[in-house]
Amino acid sequence: MSHQDLPPKGGYPALQWKRNLPSRGFRPSIYLAIMGGISLLGCIPLTRGIRERREYQREKAWSRLYLLPLLQAEFDRDFVRRSTALEARERELMKDHPDWADNKPIYNDGRARIPSFAVLEGQKKAYFVYSDESVDVKEAAS
Amino acid sequence: MAPHDLRTLPYYVADPTPLPEGIPKVPEVGATSAPLLSVSYFIGARCQAYNDNFMLCRSQSKTPQKDCLYEGRRVTRCAISVLEDINKHCAETLKTHYTCLENANHELSKCRLEEAYLNKCVKTFLNLDKVLPGADGIPVHERNVKILD
Repeated sequence: MSHQDLPPKGGYPALQWKRNLPSRGFRPSIYLAIMGGISLLGCIPLTRGIRERREYQREKAWSRLYLLPLLQAEFDRDFVRRSTALEARERELMKDHPDWADNKPIYNDGRARIPSFAVLEGQKKAYFVYSDESVDVKEAAS
Repeated sequence: MAPHDLRTLPYYVADPTPLPEGIPKVPEVGATSAPLLSVSYFIGARCQAYNDNFMLCRSQSKTPQKDCLYEGRRVTRCAISVLEDINKHCAETLKTHYTCLENANHELSKCRLEEAYLNKCVKTFLNLDKVLPGADGIPVHERNVKILD
């Protein structure tokens, strides 16, 4: 009989059949969970910051509310001054026209309105930065 | 192109006509935006009644500009009194605060330390408090911890 090959004593060494790749870390779902957790934690300072910013805006708004009557009162005096001057100017301009109804309001609801158009008289300044000497300011304004 | 700065225009547009004779004169406040922002809460604290009266008068009138001049003068005089008192007793702290506001883009949150000194001084001398109505928790100007910059 011929000799048959036999395994070496102690058997063959283990055959590496599995790929030897480095570990890829955790499962994807764990990474997703970690990310969600970080986002949730970040929501806490985010919410605090949004609330604080809202308080800043409210602080600014109340500051403006406290100043509003003061600014409005100043503007009202200026409005009365300007509108009285405008009416006087109108009266002076239209004194020779018999059809002119003095100080007649345009609307019948009795409200005071800021005029849409105003005739303004310019006053020349003593020095010019951008000046066009050929234009007569009084003529251009009238 | 027209220049943006009005001072560079070749002419002013101005109406120098004064107020009519029948209307009493009152000095204007004349403060700029940063000092007004600094003292706004104290104006609100002292002049609340005058302010409310004026705004109520305005809302009830058809020609509010002309009918509420009396209330408006009281509002202006009260605001001037607040500014004068603060200038008398707390001029340094006020100046520090509004200079800080000028440099911080008028953001009150950037000037809390200066504001604390001003509030303390005003509380001591004028007995006026800065009250932020309807605050969410501790009012922002009294918090020690800031979340935002």
